[in-house]
Amino acid sequence: MSWALDAGHAAQRSWTLDEAFVVALARTIRDTEAVFHGFASPCAQVAMHVAKRTHAPDCLLIEGATYAVDPVPVFVPPTGNDLALHRDAVYRMRFEEFFDAACRGAVDRMFLSGGQIDGYGSTNVTAIGGMPHPKIKLGGGGGGGNISASIGALTVWTSRHRAGRTLVADLDFLTDLGHRTREGSRAELGYTGGGPQWLVTELGAFDFDGDGHARLRALWPDVDVDDVAAATGFELRVALDGADGLLDPPSPAELAAVRAVDPLGVRRSEFAEVELARTPGLSGVAR
Amino acid sequence: MSFHLGGDKRASLAEAAARVGDGALVALGGGLCARLPMALVREMVRQGRRDLHLVGSAHSIDVDLLIAAGAVGVCEESYVGFEQDLGLAPAFRRAARDGSVEVRESCCATVLAQLRAAEAGVPFLPVRGIKGTDVEGLHPEYARMTCPFTGEELVVVPPLRPDVALLHAPLGDAHGNLHLDQPFVLDERFAHASVAVVATVDRIVPTAELVGAGVVVPGHLVAAVAEVPYGAHPSSCYPGYAYDRPHLAAYLAAATAGGTALDEYLARYVHVDEDTYAKDVDPERLAAWSGSTRAWQELFR
Repeated sequence: MSWALDAGHAAQRSWTLDEAFVVALARTIRDTEAVFHGFASPCAQVAMHVAKRTHAPDCLLIEGATYAVDPVPVFVPPTGNDLALHRDAVYRMRFEEFFDAACRGAVDRMFLSGGQIDGYGSTNVTAIGGMPHPKIKLGGGGGGGNISASIGALTVWTSRHRAGRTLVADLDFLTDLGHRTREGSRAELGYTGGGPQWLVTELGAFDFDGDGHARLRALWPDVDVDDVAAATGFELRVALDGADGLLDPPSPAELAAVRAVDPLGVRRSEFAEVELARTPGLSGVAR
Repeated sequence: MSFHLGGDKRASLAEAAARVGDGALVALGGGLCARLPMALVREMVRQGRRDLHLVGSAHSIDVDLLIAAGAVGVCEESYVGFEQDLGLAPAFRRAARDGSVEVRESCCATVLAQLRAAEAGVPFLPVRGIKGTDVEGLHPEYARMTCPFTGEELVVVPPLRPDVALLHAPLGDAHGNLHLDQPFVLDERFAHASVAVVATVDRIVPTAELVGAGVVVPGHLVAAVAEVPYGAHPSSCYPGYAYDRPHLAAYLAAATAGGTALDEYLARYVHVDEDTYAKDVDPERLAAWSGSTRAWQELFR
């Protein structure tokens, strides 16, 4: 792929990092998957609806804390249990119906983030400084501590990589399961879900190697490996090959879907100001 | 547990909240910032309730306000916060740090398994995950067990039988039958697993009208029902009212500052009766959501 865009695609250049980030998350969804996002995750939420409206029309989209199936949101509001997300839905799962499906392995993908993420894709959404005396008590894990064990694949993500405190060697508290805990691997723990497949950040995209460890596969065009190294606390393994086009420029259809799904720009609340100012589409363009 | 027999379950808000004792194991209905039993929360604060043990899934101002008012001893919710919109829960965060509330964070699916054990009258149920997480270490009451059929080692959890489930519904009748709209979150499971349901409803209607809307929680699980218009405010209770973002932001500012600012919030919004509260917060404006998409969006800006 090439970052140089011809004049006919000038409109395509006018995208911001938050838009492309959501598109990258969307591209991790396959068309034949049942997919779910946790609450307090507008980027993942918008991404699922972008996938549904572009390359994955047949995915089964389970809308977060409403548990509605394939709803068409009026708009994405800033709170995850709101009627705007599911007003005309044909069907809403019960809470227990969703969690049973996730625990028995019927849900193919979930989006997970965290205040801390380790090299095996495990996350801490409970406490910075650990428990029982946290320096900062985070919100908590919701349902992740069970269903991260059994869901088919996880797309792990953060929009806070650059600050250097998110991708860490050791978690202060392990809330959700990646490929390995102190007790051993997923196989040793007896977990049937596939664990983290992708780790997407505002600096780049990782997959997970044979050890279950994150491996940098692609960079956003205005980022280099040194930027990632400076911000990453776990061992940085690098195999830059484009990550199957995950971070390629968004298509007009994808951009239109982002803007239609999220007119309030709720996704932007996940980013620091410096990231919102980024227009990586311009950085590789010959002028 | 026994069913709640008898005809007229109507009660005042004060009578309803008085059914919750100090130290009670309390399940809060609704989820995130929707259909939270806020009038009951405020009334428990007015009555000076202490040492409550809260259980449930993902919650926000209901838990945080009870903690801010000093009413909570143990918090066993799976999440307490204001999502990406308004961020971390200030009183919860402070209480976790200084140890004034014991945080036994749980997981939605674990709470579900524990409620089901209580409903079914069995001494434990297994869960699919948790093993290997640090959540397991917060719960000495969990155990591990080898499955006699498959040989798998699983985490097993004991029943969770709340003394009371506090629910808010848009509609109810005099017998305590309740109509809710989805998502029900854990309200049905709380109702069946708890010793008693204590409910508020925006409106008490004739039974025939309630049956037409659909009974979700039957009256035989309900000990008391109080009619409190806007009883879920500032959380949403559609179709009546949307999420009150400015009010939530004002609470967050007061609870974050603590001290005098928090005292002023409590004096103005909690230590007043619910009629005074409703006049002050002007919830009619939150019905604007149904007028147009633009009007609905404006409520979130």
